[in-house]
Amino acid sequence: MQSNKYVLGWLAVAAFAILSSAKPALAVPSFARQTGMACEACHTVFPELTHFGRMFKANGYILDNVKQVQDVSSKKEQLLELASIPPLSIMLQVSYTQLRQSVPDQANVDLPGKAQNGTVGFPQQFSLFYAGKIAPHVGAFIQATYDNAGGTFGIDNTDLRFADMMILPDDHSLVYGISLNNNPTVQDLWNSTPAFGFPYAASNAVVSPLAATQIDGSLAQEIAGLTAYAFWNESVYAEVGGYRSAKQGVTNSVTGAAGPLDGTTSNVISGVAPYWRIAYEHNWGAHSIEAGLYGLDVKLLPGASSSGPSPLQSPYNRFKDVAQDLQYQYVGDEHIVTVQATRIHERMDLAGSLAAGTTANPSNQLTTTRLWTTYYYRRRVGATAQYFQTTGSTDPILYPAPAPGENGVVTSANGSPGTRGWVAEANYLPWLNTKLTLQYTAYTKFNGSSSSYDGLGRSASANNALYLLLWFSY
Amino acid sequence: MCNILSNRDRLFRHGRGAVGFMALVGFLGLWTAGVQADEPDPGAQAYAHRLAVGVCGTCHGSQGNSVQPKFPRLAGQNPNYLVAQLKNFRGQTRGDPDAISYMWGMAGPLADDTIDALAKYYSSQRVVSEKVADSSEIAHGRDIYANGVASEGVPACAACHGPDAHGMADFPRLAGQHSQYVLKQLSSFKSNMRNVAVMHGVAQSLRLPEMRAVAAYVESLQ
Repeated sequence: MQSNKYVLGWLAVAAFAILSSAKPALAVPSFARQTGMACEACHTVFPELTHFGRMFKANGYILDNVKQVQDVSSKKEQLLELASIPPLSIMLQVSYTQLRQSVPDQANVDLPGKAQNGTVGFPQQFSLFYAGKIAPHVGAFIQATYDNAGGTFGIDNTDLRFADMMILPDDHSLVYGISLNNNPTVQDLWNSTPAFGFPYAASNAVVSPLAATQIDGSLAQEIAGLTAYAFWNESVYAEVGGYRSAKQGVTNSVTGAAGPLDGTTSNVISGVAPYWRIAYEHNWGAHSIEAGLYGLDVKLLPGASSSGPSPLQSPYNRFKDVAQDLQYQYVGDEHIVTVQATRIHERMDLAGSLAAGTTANPSNQLTTTRLWTTYYYRRRVGATAQYFQTTGSTDPILYPAPAPGENGVVTSANGSPGTRGWVAEANYLPWLNTKLTLQYTAYTKFNGSSSSYDGLGRSASANNALYLLLWFSY
Repeated sequence: MCNILSNRDRLFRHGRGAVGFMALVGFLGLWTAGVQADEPDPGAQAYAHRLAVGVCGTCHGSQGNSVQPKFPRLAGQNPNYLVAQLKNFRGQTRGDPDAISYMWGMAGPLADDTIDALAKYYSSQRVVSEKVADSSEIAHGRDIYANGVASEGVPACAACHGPDAHGMADFPRLAGQHSQYVLKQLSSFKSNMRNVAVMHGVAQSLRLPEMRAVAAYVESLQ
């Protein structure tokens, strides 16, 4: 029994390691090679996009200035258009993380001691990209990442696009297209949405809060979506589509093949999960402002739990995420100022979890708010400050207290997901593809409380983290 | 003609200042008056229209009336000047920072007939600029534009850019241009990052308040 608990505890830790892994990031010099344009055309400082960068993405990453290998038929039909330089890039993140207070050495309270504090990630993350044009009207951003938590290479953020543009009678443009991607909002054009929102890089050797909404990275790289979008006059944007599970590293227990998904897999989308997005952007002078809404309605079959396989059948859990976002940018030659914010509200109907006994309530609410501002001087030196907060229903099973004999840290004494704090970050870019980051995350509340939040005396501020990062891409 | 015009910046670079340049102006003005560019074919025009609205328009506005002062307004611009600049970008001979960061890549793949068609497209667009209230700075700029600054050896801008600043021969239109853009170009001429001998001479002689005044004045023109 003791050993079972031990295993379950580590399963929980492993799950959190995956959930809390550093946010994959977009910073791809192959776009610069393809277009012949400097980073600053598309980015304020990577990975934040300028208006031009948003249009480059909306147009399918296909703008190019590279000699093409071509083929045409006898009827002048274009059969092939290949760039003479393949759009490949690499990215490396090396990091050091220091927690304010060490975590227990192991999950079992009977095993005393502290884990080593001061984690070196070398690399924390190493990525290979295909980022650029594939064919006329077709482009891709494909990222494969090795991360030190998994110790393996795996698929990371990916966005395949078909895009075209028509000129309307009043000389307004209508850009339209289709995105095939594996993370809701990875295809989005604004950095106020989760996939490419701040922090653009974060430590994967920290304690992460228990709760996150589904659209906030919880499903990243485990689902695949097809969305259609239109961008009118570079100002009004609308997108709609649906996602389906596309699990990585799981097999069918009967056939041993990569599918169909069965009850040994957890959180499988039932049917298709609709995704939607509307946004309005206005540009004047050196200013740009955007306001928008986005959302995801996902039904997840609980499937396997920590107690073992469970049939992949109803009842399911339903998560309705509705979010607002806002972005302001001032992009001058000397000074760049950005303000971004998002608020994600999630309503959970947890019939599946209730039946499995893994939630106390039939329905819960969860709301995450983030607001941040960034300043850069000549794209060389900059700083960001962010306030974040998560509030939600109290649920002592979903956000559990430590079981007898277990260490806390990733638990909640009062069953609340409430978390809030600040991130302060300073950046120096000796070159536009190389970033040195000093980041500090401070919690004033963690999993429901500021003191002894885990039920075993750990304070929220014990999870404060200092993070040093060397990040470059080529 | 296009080849000659595309070499304009290079001609300036090897010039010996304003006097030699003024002689060239007269020559080129007479010469270009009698030679018209070939009319771009409809295919090139359609392609250029698509480029202008869908690609260039992201920065310069779909009809060349950009809202961001970083990017120049191109509507109503002198087509000769546009052709020359696009070829300078393509040939990487114009070296101000934004030219390097943006336009070297953007103009790299443009064929001559596309450049001609883009120039025709922008030059035929209606200029839409905001009306600016008169001010003492604008009045100062008006004086410099019309008369130059004799004490500093600065010639009248109007001599090359036209009395209404609509451009002439292969000199650019300045009327309605973003003052911030004009100011930045003057600064680039001064530092020789944008290497045009005659404008280097002018910009070296102008003091910053005078640059600001003349930039504000030309922006106020329709």
